[in-house]
Amino acid sequence: MSRSLKQVAVLLVALLCLDPHGRVGSAPICAHGPSGCHVPSLADLFDRVIQHSARMHSLSNDLHSEFEQYFLPSKNHIGKIYRKCHTSNILTPNGKENAQKLAREELTEVILKLLMAWRDPLFQLHQSMADQQDFNSFSSNKALEMGDMAHELRKGVEKVAEKMRVLGMLGNSVTGLSAAEAMLPLSESGEAMSDYELLYCFRRDSNKVQNYLKILKCRIVPEHDC
Amino acid sequence: MRNSGAVLILSFIAKLISQAAGVSAPGKPRLTSCRSPEKETFTCWWEPGDDGGLPTTYGLYYHLENSETIYECPDYRTAGDNSCFFNKNDTSLWVNYNITVVATNALGRDISDPVEVDVAYIVQPNTPENVTAVVVDEDQGPFVRVSWEKPRTADTRSGWITLQYQLRVKQKKDKEWEEYDAGMQKYYNVFSLHPDKEFMVQVRCKPDHGFWSEWTQTTYVKMPDYIPRERSLWIMITIFSVFIVLILTWTLNVKRNSVKLCLLPPVPGPKIKGFDKQLLKSGKSEEVFNSLVIQGFPPTIDYDDLLVEYLEVYDNEEQELVLDSKDLSEDCMKSKSPSDCDSGRGSCDSRTLLLEKCMVGREGSRSDQHQYSQHGETSWASTESSECQGLEPGSPEFSDGRVKTWPVVFSSPQPHHHYQVEAVKPVYHSVPEILNHSSPHAMPANYQNLQHQDIPQQEGRFGKPACRHSQSYTHGLDTPAPGVSPSRSLEYVEVQRINPENMLLLRPLSDQNREPEGSDYAGEDYSKVKEVTSNNILLLQRDTSYLCADGYSQAGQCTTQQPPHPCKPVIYQSHSGMPQEGMRVMGNGYVDTTVLMPSY
Repeated sequence: MSRSLKQVAVLLVALLCLDPHGRVGSAPICAHGPSGCHVPSLADLFDRVIQHSARMHSLSNDLHSEFEQYFLPSKNHIGKIYRKCHTSNILTPNGKENAQKLAREELTEVILKLLMAWRDPLFQLHQSMADQQDFNSFSSNKALEMGDMAHELRKGVEKVAEKMRVLGMLGNSVTGLSAAEAMLPLSESGEAMSDYELLYCFRRDSNKVQNYLKILKCRIVPEHDC
Repeated sequence: MRNSGAVLILSFIAKLISQAAGVSAPGKPRLTSCRSPEKETFTCWWEPGDDGGLPTTYGLYYHLENSETIYECPDYRTAGDNSCFFNKNDTSLWVNYNITVVATNALGRDISDPVEVDVAYIVQPNTPENVTAVVVDEDQGPFVRVSWEKPRTADTRSGWITLQYQLRVKQKKDKEWEEYDAGMQKYYNVFSLHPDKEFMVQVRCKPDHGFWSEWTQTTYVKMPDYIPRERSLWIMITIFSVFIVLILTWTLNVKRNSVKLCLLPPVPGPKIKGFDKQLLKSGKSEEVFNSLVIQGFPPTIDYDDLLVEYLEVYDNEEQELVLDSKDLSEDCMKSKSPSDCDSGRGSCDSRTLLLEKCMVGREGSRSDQHQYSQHGETSWASTESSECQGLEPGSPEFSDGRVKTWPVVFSSPQPHHHYQVEAVKPVYHSVPEILNHSSPHAMPANYQNLQHQDIPQQEGRFGKPACRHSQSYTHGLDTPAPGVSPSRSLEYVEVQRINPENMLLLRPLSDQNREPEGSDYAGEDYSKVKEVTSNNILLLQRDTSYLCADGYSQAGQCTTQQPPHPCKPVIYQSHSGMPQEGMRVMGNGYVDTTVLMPSY
């Protein structure tokens, strides 16, 4: 009796493994057609993306505060010398008018550039934080999550851009992002930035991203929350 | 060298003089805070230090990060004294401002500590506007709906700022505020406010990354006087009662058996032993009632036993005891003591006598026994044996020669009779006494033999108790056993008298030597049956037995015989003809009364 059950179980497992559809993967749910499949609207996509960015920024904020508390003597912002962030080359609107003056495509592109510029540095940040004994696992996990969030956010924004392009809201003037991929977080002096500097820079950039996304959303889908 | 020394001395003296005069260089100012209400402009405030008694001017200077260009504050007035307002053009987000304040007077100047400011993180919106609190009356009860608007300056429409609101409520007398978070909506419903009371409401807001705004001005709201329907009380009562009912139901369910017993006492079912309800239901009533039948009821008795008990005809002197052979047999087998004079048992004497006779008859010749047995049988088998001698060979088998049948005692077919009985009166005595006269030694052996006889068997053969007549007789008692001739016959004896030694003196009834009195006795003791009617009624005669030969010439058998013995098996034929079936008539008209007993 038990043997037959075992055989049946083995068969089931084999079937699951062999059957491509049974595999757990990232296959789209709506592969078989739009019937019964809920396609998220642009507003939904924007909401999701904005939530992602909010989460990412809060993480960066927390990490930065922790860094300031434990690793730097209690000083206010006075006296700190910051080196230039590696993303300062990217031209970003530094005001509301400037941001509103930008076209959708450019705004989207800026967002994507920023996110792309931070892909590797965040990974490095997590690695260095994990290596150091000073950090507890909690902070290290936060850094890891932050990196994942940035990655997810980038994917989301790309999807949004794709959707907008499909809907005809975006023109085809969005340039490729290959140029931004090779950016490395190097300061002017060529030295790698410290963790604190990275955190400082990322906190700022995540705030920028969040803001830009909100502007974009309220410009494109101004139904609610705007 | 001298000049420097001179300058120092002079400055020192000037200082002393100025101190004496009460004036000095200005103290160090301090930047207190910088705030941006909408993330587009911002304002910095400082506090001046000691002015040193002289008019002091303050100047704010800043430079952006990674830039050496120092700018001065563009607007000192808009924000009031000791403030610097940065307008939209001068405000750059996500850029650090390095701000310092310089105090200058006639004697000197001082510079404050620099402050790094990033405008994006110093946002503190203005307070919400148009806070309204309205009492809304509904079925559940009145509540307060507080609504407000966003601060005018905050641009949430374009998504530049996202605000979340908070309100607080309290009564005037209360110390603590009740705070509620309203999120990003611009209204809120406040419930469970006490009726007929005035409440104060305030609202404030905060950007997603920034500082809380100030609380708005207090808005007052008065709750109306209403009686709150204590629905909750009724609900609680209902729930409680439902709970009680559930508990009762459950208890009843648990105890349903006892409740059922209490309310509906069970009807006692039939308690008939052996009664099967299932059979009754199946319809086979016969089986049902058959099972009720108790075997052995009514108690069936062996009618032979009854027959035994029944037969007790005891006439005083002419006692004609009818004994059941079974009883006799029992006594034969059981008791040695012949003196069992229990009346219920009938004539123990005669019985025991007969027993003795059996034994006596046995001593010596077995063949005699054999013959005796034969005769005995035939003598009793009245119906069968038509001959007087009754020499029918229907004798029971003998096992090892022993007398099996009790009537062997009575057999005496041979005509020769050996009266060895002492002439005594016919009387019934227990056997041992009689035997005293006879050979005592012969007694035990035969007695034992007799005892072992299967007397009931004899009964079966005859179908009736064989020896009904209690007869006391002796034959050859006074002679030793070998001397007993086979021709010894059974006869009635009567006890003549009892000698002083307590010995019975017997004499045969049919003895010629009889005294006349004996004949009288014979005549008196015994009654002859003339005939038996169809109704089984015995017609007795007054004639004596010895007159048999004379009186009954018809009884051919009677005459052919020698002087008939009373015990001689003779078929008596009455006028009416053959005696009825089942009736045995012994010699001389004596009827075996047992025959008259209804056969069971």
